[in-house]
Amino acid sequence: MRPRHVPAGGLGWLAIALMFWAVAPSRAGAADLRFQAQLVWGTDDPKPPEGKNFKPVEGDIRQKLKDLPLRWGNYFEVSRTNFDVALASSRTVAISEKCALEVKSLGGTSIEVTSLSKGKEVMKRKQSLPKGEVFVLGGNAPNATAWLVILKRLE
Amino acid sequence: MTQHEEQLELQAYLDGELDEARARAVAARLARDQQAASLLRELRLTRQALAAGEVVRPLPETREFYWSKIQRELDRLEAPATRPVRESFALRLRRFLLPASGVALVAGLGVAVARWHGAGYTGGTETALDDSGALTYHDYSAGATLVWVSYPAEEELAQDDEIGTVE
Repeated sequence: MRPRHVPAGGLGWLAIALMFWAVAPSRAGAADLRFQAQLVWGTDDPKPPEGKNFKPVEGDIRQKLKDLPLRWGNYFEVSRTNFDVALASSRTVAISEKCALEVKSLGGTSIEVTSLSKGKEVMKRKQSLPKGEVFVLGGNAPNATAWLVILKRLE
Repeated sequence: MTQHEEQLELQAYLDGELDEARARAVAARLARDQQAASLLRELRLTRQALAAGEVVRPLPETREFYWSKIQRELDRLEAPATRPVRESFALRLRRFLLPASGVALVAGLGVAVARWHGAGYTGGTETALDDSGALTYHDYSAGATLVWVSYPAEEELAQDDEIGTVE
């Protein structure tokens, strides 16, 4: 069987076409990004505070929190918000009465996250957040507990 | 004439290679020189022995063909060096395109893979405005990034309410 001859010119055009495809804006980047923001309370207590109907965090978020170097044994969901962000635009969502999160789409999977507390900018960060991955912003709370804002990319 | 030359002359006499005058002179010398006559007899016997005992070896090819091969090889070696063939534009273009296409292919695949995994901001950039002590932890296998900030301070929170920042 004779080996099939591949013309060099054809290979060159294929490579150039691949280059153009690779550097062109992706169709996924043009679509809206869908997120889920959760406010979570981390504690070693097995139950939520008295009078609070917080539900334990479940599913993949619980597993991801276990994978992170956090020392608390239980995590309770305080609130949950789903929202969309269009390409090259930003969206601010309230996490609690005092806390808000601003998410800006930078194209592709890249986003800019700004944490606001009482209208004051606490943290700003640019990073990639592919579908299914989470961004966790946390800090210490009274009585050796913690507050966590979990931003998950849904679409 | 040396003894060696006399011996060669006897050999030539035996082979019939001398002209008439020299042949007569050699014959006269043989008549008076017993040693020369003895050498001539010995040479004659040797030639007869060689002729009788020689093995006939047939050649695989004719003499003419054998020498023509040598002649052709000599002609080939003496032929002037041929001029180098000038490369065509298509050949030079192909020589350039082959490695260039390989490099472009690898680069394209690299960019495509990077885009596929969304590696545009792999390292990430962070601006800590009020608190520069933020700690960042990224777990690639879990697909999770953790940023731990010390704001609001516990003391400040404690003045607010029980779970100040989460309610």
